[in-house]
Amino acid sequence: MTDIAFHLNGTPIRLGAGDPTRTLLDYLREDRGLTGTKEACREGDCGACTVMVRDGTGRAQAFNSCILFLPQLQGKSVTTVEGLRGPAGQMHPVQEEMIAHHGSQCGFCTPGFIMSMATAHLNGDQNHDRALAGNLCRCTGYAPIIRAAEAAAARPVPDWMGQDAAFTCSEISSGGEARTGLGGQTAPLATGFSPASTDDLAQWYLANPDATLIAGATDVGLWVTKQLRDLAPVAFLGGIADLAQIRQQDGQFHVGAGVTITDLMAAVEDTLPSFAALLARYASQQVRNAATIGGNIANGSPIGDGPPALIALGASLHLRRGDARRLIAIEDFFLDYRKQDRQPGEFVEAVSFADTAPDLRCYKISKRFDQDISAICACFNVTVAQGRVTAARLAFGGMAGIPKRAAAAEAALTGAEWSLDAIRQAQAAMAGDFMPMSDMRASAAYRAEVAAALLERYFHDLAGTATDILEVRA
Amino acid sequence: MSRVQNTLIESVRKVVGWVPERWLPGGTPDPLIGRHGAVGTQLAQLDGPQKVRGAARFAAEVPLEGLCYAALVNSPVTRGRITRLDTAAAEAAPGVLLVLTYRNMPRLGLVPLMGVTNLGAVGNSALPILQDDQIRYNGQVMALVLAETQQQADHAARLIDLSVDTAPALSDFQAAKPEARTPASILVERNEQSAGDAEAALRQAAFSTDATYTTPGHNHAAIELHGVTAHWTGNRLVLHDATQAVAPTAAALAKLFGLRREDVRVLSPFVGGGFGAKGFWDHQVLAVAAARMVDRPVRLMLSREAVFRMVGGRSPTEQRVAIGADAEGRFTALIHTGYSVMPPYSASPEQYTLGTRSLYRAQSYRFGQKHLDLDIVPNTFMRAPGESVGSFAVESAVDELAHAMDIDPVELRLRNEPETHPLTGTPFSQRALATAWRQGADRFGWDARSTMPRARRDGEWLLGMGCAAGNFPYVRMPSGALRIRLTRDGQATLSTSAQDMGMGTATVQTQHAADRLGLPLDAITFEMGDSDLPAAPVAGGSSQTVSIAAAIAAAASKLTVELLRLAGNASPLAGLRAGEVRLAEGGLVCIEDPTRRETYGDILTRAGRDEISVTETGAPPLEIFKYAMLSHSANFCEVRVSDVTGELRVTRLLGVFDVGTILNPRMAVSQLRGGMIMGLGMALSEEVLFDERSGRIMNPGLADYHIPAHLDVPEIDVTWTGIPDPRSPLGARGIGEIGITGVAAAIANAVFNATGKRLRDLPLTLDRLIGAEGA
Repeated sequence: MTDIAFHLNGTPIRLGAGDPTRTLLDYLREDRGLTGTKEACREGDCGACTVMVRDGTGRAQAFNSCILFLPQLQGKSVTTVEGLRGPAGQMHPVQEEMIAHHGSQCGFCTPGFIMSMATAHLNGDQNHDRALAGNLCRCTGYAPIIRAAEAAAARPVPDWMGQDAAFTCSEISSGGEARTGLGGQTAPLATGFSPASTDDLAQWYLANPDATLIAGATDVGLWVTKQLRDLAPVAFLGGIADLAQIRQQDGQFHVGAGVTITDLMAAVEDTLPSFAALLARYASQQVRNAATIGGNIANGSPIGDGPPALIALGASLHLRRGDARRLIAIEDFFLDYRKQDRQPGEFVEAVSFADTAPDLRCYKISKRFDQDISAICACFNVTVAQGRVTAARLAFGGMAGIPKRAAAAEAALTGAEWSLDAIRQAQAAMAGDFMPMSDMRASAAYRAEVAAALLERYFHDLAGTATDILEVRA
Repeated sequence: MSRVQNTLIESVRKVVGWVPERWLPGGTPDPLIGRHGAVGTQLAQLDGPQKVRGAARFAAEVPLEGLCYAALVNSPVTRGRITRLDTAAAEAAPGVLLVLTYRNMPRLGLVPLMGVTNLGAVGNSALPILQDDQIRYNGQVMALVLAETQQQADHAARLIDLSVDTAPALSDFQAAKPEARTPASILVERNEQSAGDAEAALRQAAFSTDATYTTPGHNHAAIELHGVTAHWTGNRLVLHDATQAVAPTAAALAKLFGLRREDVRVLSPFVGGGFGAKGFWDHQVLAVAAARMVDRPVRLMLSREAVFRMVGGRSPTEQRVAIGADAEGRFTALIHTGYSVMPPYSASPEQYTLGTRSLYRAQSYRFGQKHLDLDIVPNTFMRAPGESVGSFAVESAVDELAHAMDIDPVELRLRNEPETHPLTGTPFSQRALATAWRQGADRFGWDARSTMPRARRDGEWLLGMGCAAGNFPYVRMPSGALRIRLTRDGQATLSTSAQDMGMGTATVQTQHAADRLGLPLDAITFEMGDSDLPAAPVAGGSSQTVSIAAAIAAAASKLTVELLRLAGNASPLAGLRAGEVRLAEGGLVCIEDPTRRETYGDILTRAGRDEISVTETGAPPLEIFKYAMLSHSANFCEVRVSDVTGELRVTRLLGVFDVGTILNPRMAVSQLRGGMIMGLGMALSEEVLFDERSGRIMNPGLADYHIPAHLDVPEIDVTWTGIPDPRSPLGARGIGEIGITGVAAAIANAVFNATGKRLRDLPLTLDRLIGAEGA
């Protein structure tokens, strides 16, 4: 019925009904014997399982195959480390440079690094820090690998890395027979339901309100790989083109729930640079390429990095249930720990927010710079007119069971003269806003103190004092 | 046993002390020291192409016909007894071939713990494996499920119904302290040692510091998970393992399963990172037993969580370091004592005071360690066991004293450099730590450091510099065997069961063999990672490079004798003895008269031989008793700490290493830098979070056990004194572990310089700099 069709290292693959939450990693290693792709964490932390995935437009991105379900590959082309070799067995430039720079010591993380590097190389992406942040190495760390990436960047893309020739075959690029619409597919499908439009999804989800919606699977993937949960029925949202649209009009971004963090980051880079910089520390490139803003909002995590920024921007959330739609302020969506204002069969369709906010600043505090969950994420957007605060949105992650505004601190600021005195007042007021908890990321006392201190950083930041954390480069 | 060991070791030391130098290994320096040959060049890693292509096959990747997959059930409680273990549903699940529990597991003996009195032993745990209904630690294996696919095995494992009668457990470090044990020895050293009345000297000292430092548990977190593929053919066993101890593992399995040693083959051509973790644990035994029961090859790969719960890491420590000094800064008292966890079924004493014993001269000393018997997964050796965490304590203390005395911390250390080993008076084989300090201070720009904390600022960021020394002993293992096979075409194959997990062993020993045998690099093949090859000991204690080097030297000597015998009277070499020739330019050359020479090919051809093969073991490592042999490092660090958030960024690190001859600078930089990065992780973020109520590890994954990630690693400058050790093969000392030592202290000292906050507990997390703890 709905076969999964994709390319693997240039070879067309068609898989019939099977477990919809089988991961690409398991498929590669167990079914195909392609053991160059490594397993080391099974949760998207280490990047040892990185593969290159190209879509029908030829766009190449790196993904963690350990949390990528096979149906997500519908109509895509996958390249593993085994697929990098040239027709005469040649090595790819990144492979040669890794040897030359001794970027591979024990060799276990190496194929994952190679695939991140080869993807960046293909795209002409020379932001190596960003491209490699999702790969962990325990032997020797990152300097020789960066040097190898830099050296490879000066060399041309090998001709065998061009568009997968067989990929243009229409059967694959159209995703085979998958996108046939509803056609009586209300029963749980062995390969999962893959709607082609938001309308199809809305109807199906209304009929299957207990289903799991899977977009990037960077969170849901762990339910399978770590908790070994059975998720059926499931719907894969990757094929819904209209859910992945970003529109910019009337001073607003209108961002579909299926937009990936990578695409959102690119969209806001020019006009909301602080938001983009925050997103650059959202997990890793591999995760950002898969994860969607809709998933980041809908999972309701108190420590997701998207919601505090969106709250500070005064974003509106577009919810849909069948044909019924409603619009709410995003902060009203989060009711309590892991509890959202969402009816059965209702889903996040889009989020919209102001496309400029010169005074928006986003601060992510985590133990580790790269690849870490925030201890505190603070996003501030204060509007000052004639020296007085006319509006204040102070949003936090990690300070409560939900992403939350500091209402008392906002009230203290609003109407006040924009000064350090006002900041002190707001800091005092903030004590009543939150009762943070102690966990492995930070103590309650730290959170309370630093949440307040960040307001002062914000004040100085707007005044032009350097606060950049990024002073470290290997 | 331990007291006997102390007496024995001290007697050996005494006797070896009397023996003339020239009779001992290293008494006559290795003639290759200082020779410009293949050693010292930047040869690239020989197996690099396989690794970058993804073609290097690791243990859990070996394809075999009929392979089946295992999943484990781990204990959810710390101590207790299994009261119910219903496996019916699991056995009936699709694809299931076997459910293995204590009820049907073959009865096996215990695995002997590795240790200095039993160098062939390899066990990390002396606990029975699936032999009874007792639960001894949280994470212990309760059952193994074997199925046709991994998914089926994982599924069925969840269907096992386990009920437990929980018993009281000891899992609280502080609560265990009153019952602490004092072992007689720590590895080869007497545990409690003192000279003079250190406590009294401390009280009377003009200046002093006396503080407690703590370090948490650490996990090796090698990127490769522990995995094996076990395969029986009749009574013969092949185990594809990820292990640092190839031959010892084969020997242990043979003994455990009642097999002849030659019927067990352990293969480990690649290991994806070890750092002490890739040793002998329960999973090898379980996979081997299961494979025998179903008579099919079995794959068992631990999940990341299981690695944390079943393979022990570094013990937490609580250490007291006290130093007294006179007005000139000369140490009058040095005390280093403390507690770490070492249940009686564990092999690793976490020797955090050993490094301190040779680091400084002092007028009085007291050293001693106590062990706590917690109910935990047995702790084990992890990169620079002891020295990594011990150096944090002692080198923080020296910094505290320097600050109290207003003396530059480098200068204070230089004033207390010992001439000979401070406890034994034994001469150092080579020690140039003072040179490393001066070299490093110059290179780092140490002059720019402000002596006053909080003196340098950039916006909200406080800037600081710190330094710390590190040391690690030279270890050479006895009994490493190696074979040299020389063929008529002038090719040599060197074979030993030892293991290369990326340190560059094969590459560096290929360089060494080229020089030792007088052959070009491309005439050398180095084989390893196979227990059918001549047996080498465990790759640990930074010992492998010199252990193999000694074996190559010994085998080359034997080869010389054999070749001369083979050469016979028709050879230009006729009548020469082994001491009168050297191996050079593809053959034997008379030292006195270099015109008398013959190539290996010619010798073999005339003798009508296609090849010659010799196997030899390195000389016993008696040099370690004659000399104090240690590597040293001087670490420098610069940090930025946000005054607003407590965010800590290490912006620069420099390590100057005094580690003997550098055999391959490209590999050496990588090993040393890798060690320093692990030290950075130890300082900033690495911490096994242990729930002391339940005995459960709370962060068993790479998302929450934070090893350094990309932009947390700064520019790291690595350099060395380059002075050979005249007493070691090639003049080298191992470099796998020295890199990590001292780094955490250098960072903590820099944090003090930046912020004025003295942090004595690792890791230096956000809330230790700000909030209640950091207030």
